[in-house]
Amino acid sequence: MKTLQLELRLALHSRLAAGALVLLLLLAALAVWSGLHAVSIQRDALARIAAVQRDDVDAVAQKYRDGGEAGYAAYSTPHLTANPPAPLAFAAFGQRDVQPYALRVRLLGLHSQLYESESINPELAAAGRFDFAFVLVYLAPLFVIALMHDLVAGEREAGRLRLVNSLPAPGARLWRRRIALRFGLVLAALLLPFLAGAVSAGAGLAATALVALGAALYLAFWFGIAAAVAALVRTSAAGAAVLLAVFVVLTLVLPTFVNGAIGRAVPVSKGAELSLAQRQEVHNGWDLPKDETMAKFFRTNPEWRETTPVTGRFHWKWYYAMHQAGDDAVAGKAGDYRAALTAREDWTAHSGWLLPSVAVQVLLHRLADTDLQGQLAYQDRIAAFHTVLRRFYYPYIFNDRPFGPAEFARMPVYSAVAPGGGVAVPALAALAILAAAGLAAGAIRLRRVQAL
Amino acid sequence: MSATFQPALRQRGDFLRVAWAVCREEWRALRRSAVAVTAGTLLLVLTVAATLVSWESMRAVEAERAHLQHEADEQWNSQPDRHPHRVVHYGHYIFRPLSPLAFFDFGVDPYTGHTLFLEGHRQNSANFSDAGQSSVLLRFGQLTPAFVVQTLTPLVIVFLAFGSVARERERGQVRLLIAQGLPGSALLAGKLASHAAVALLLVAPALAALALIGIADPSVRPHAAWMAGGYVVYVVVWALAAVLVSAATPRARDALLVLVGAWIVTVILLPRVMPDVATAQVPRPTRIETEVAIHKELAAFGDSHNPDDPHYKEFRRKVLAKYGVSRIEDLPVNYGGLVIEEGERLTSALFVRHMHEEFERQQEQAAIVAAAQFVSPVLALRRLSNALAGTDRASHERFLLEGEAYRYRMVQALNALHVNEVRYQNDRDQRISKSFFQRLPRFVHEPVGLPTVVEQHVRPALAVFALWLALLAGGAWWLARRLEQGASAR
Repeated sequence: MKTLQLELRLALHSRLAAGALVLLLLLAALAVWSGLHAVSIQRDALARIAAVQRDDVDAVAQKYRDGGEAGYAAYSTPHLTANPPAPLAFAAFGQRDVQPYALRVRLLGLHSQLYESESINPELAAAGRFDFAFVLVYLAPLFVIALMHDLVAGEREAGRLRLVNSLPAPGARLWRRRIALRFGLVLAALLLPFLAGAVSAGAGLAATALVALGAALYLAFWFGIAAAVAALVRTSAAGAAVLLAVFVVLTLVLPTFVNGAIGRAVPVSKGAELSLAQRQEVHNGWDLPKDETMAKFFRTNPEWRETTPVTGRFHWKWYYAMHQAGDDAVAGKAGDYRAALTAREDWTAHSGWLLPSVAVQVLLHRLADTDLQGQLAYQDRIAAFHTVLRRFYYPYIFNDRPFGPAEFARMPVYSAVAPGGGVAVPALAALAILAAAGLAAGAIRLRRVQAL
Repeated sequence: MSATFQPALRQRGDFLRVAWAVCREEWRALRRSAVAVTAGTLLLVLTVAATLVSWESMRAVEAERAHLQHEADEQWNSQPDRHPHRVVHYGHYIFRPLSPLAFFDFGVDPYTGHTLFLEGHRQNSANFSDAGQSSVLLRFGQLTPAFVVQTLTPLVIVFLAFGSVARERERGQVRLLIAQGLPGSALLAGKLASHAAVALLLVAPALAALALIGIADPSVRPHAAWMAGGYVVYVVVWALAAVLVSAATPRARDALLVLVGAWIVTVILLPRVMPDVATAQVPRPTRIETEVAIHKELAAFGDSHNPDDPHYKEFRRKVLAKYGVSRIEDLPVNYGGLVIEEGERLTSALFVRHMHEEFERQQEQAAIVAAAQFVSPVLALRRLSNALAGTDRASHERFLLEGEAYRYRMVQALNALHVNEVRYQNDRDQRISKSFFQRLPRFVHEPVGLPTVVEQHVRPALAVFALWLALLAGGAWWLARRLEQGASAR
């Protein structure tokens, strides 16, 4: 205990070390605050959207005071869906600033509505967000480098290395103690603000602990690598240079390379193709005999086969059947599109087996439910709600039942649940393995440190 | 006269000779240093790789958009005979073409949708942005030549230059040299020149890529030239700053610390923090809020389906007066088409007004970020680079505005067909020949003109660099004197 206190005093005695730790603490706090602020902006926006939506629907409801056609009610009523941020979104904001987090759907074809984008300022989005994940992935390793690059060379340059090596306790144990101490300090500087944020955001205990574990493993990797390099180099400047090069390659160069490769290997133009195809299908419907469209619709919705056939120039049941047939026709393309998006996620996760920066990002964003998978899940919920809407409206439309204020009031409402994310187990495993490898490399190298 | 100038001239000759000697010496030292050669070579390789990769991927994107545009045009042309209002709802797709320089700097392009669906009465968002379809990896940045030069090159410059003066001073060489009569200014000038030259060497492959595109495509030659100029000044600023910091700090170690810290703050931290500040300062409504606001304003104009609506009552009176008839049925044109035309005029005016309001808010946010460019030159460079590459926000806004203008023209042309080619009686049961639709003009996207880009983005960015260069020159002058004084004081 006493030696630890001594080491602590030694570590903090260096102005650089103490300053770095305070700075990291401040940056982490700033990032947590900024993330919480971003989340609160989205929550406020969702509240405002809910308010304008109520106004909008009330205005439609006014026209339905005396009842009317269900088909027209469905046509003119937008239904709100929302994807509120999960509790941990503040820590890893991910895709939330480029993806829509509220979307209104009508009974029309789902695929002409599902891919609407939110109005964003692309210039701000392109910069990326300053959140906890950013501080952990990009900045924390730099602080590790600052604290570790002269671990051995610093002693050598100060002429103490011989002394250190001649201590009764084997040198390796001394290095281990020093590294463990620095590790603890850096981890604390990062996690204290994060834990405060997690508490104030009401994040679950398990998810919070997993973020902390991920951070610890990621830092352990860097401390291990830093120790290995520090033991290898002759001068502290060389230590800094090598470590910085490793940092740049692992966090800046290789991930962008992988991203480029994935973009090439898995093109996703299928989204636009899907839109074109859906439009074509729906609008050609106007020029086809109505029976043909109805027959297509009955194939997926046989329960309405026995209702009165459509005659005349226009009927709502034919109109919605046409939209549904359009969706059905592009189901295959929609599946392809989704498969391409999922493939991108999968390849990203695979690259995490080699790149700790990617693995920790995947872990954090999955926990925060702010990744592409979270967005796809939201799209699934919208699709499910669209089905609920169809089930609600169809009986009125297909049986020509009256649709009055009472029916209007009973319209389904989307319940916006704030979903928690999941655990990316492979990413966590990869991180653990990489951390172990890094630490092992450090331990082996340190054992061979010579006093020369 | 000549006698008084002679010593000054000779002195200048000495100055240049000494500076040149220092410069050459520094070069030789760098060439011998394994770290310098490795770092430089790696960066060069990386730039070449980034150029090839992003060139390839931009060509793929361009081909894909051209293909989709072709497909959309084909679909438009192969429409059967239709009622013009059906075609108004059928709508049309347009895809934003890329500028030839986009490969160098993707800019905001991955974050904006490039697919617009244009239809009557509605304004749709630009959909299918890359960012919305990518994993978290995209947020690491993209491997473009711009990324390499903006982000990585400064770091390499820092590593090559941090010891340039400080290390020699630590060893006492500086004092020795100056005591021997070497002017401090010549020493510093030589070091500055050598590292500026190294910086130019590091950025050479990127410049070569710009030169090649300039040769291949004369239309973007001036853009490429301005861009090359911007990148050259940027790396030179870094090189000079690195040498000066090395001259100002007592030990090489401190110089490295200061410079890496400056890199972290200006290249990594500020560009991320400032957008957060901007978002907090300038709130923007969401898409749904804007949609509902437009909807409400529209309702206030009047309801074309309501026969007693004051706006449309007045409209009917004017139309009847214009043609000198008393009944809608007696009009030589289709009144239904006229009402739709009027409605489109009102809605489109609202769309355009709201677009401009939204663009102004985004501009306000951008101005907050831009305020940091004096501290963080990379922000100034990005502004210049994105604008010249045609991948900045202004280019995207232009696409949206042109798309909206085209949408309006297209819909009104269809409404004119409705007015003139479709009879009022039994309106909805009629169709007109597809040849009418096929003759409508296609969307042509004109990029922002170079003079505008230079005026709005390049000059302000270059002004920032000029300020930096002035600052560095002042710093160099001051440090040169301090070098001499420091040496003679001891």
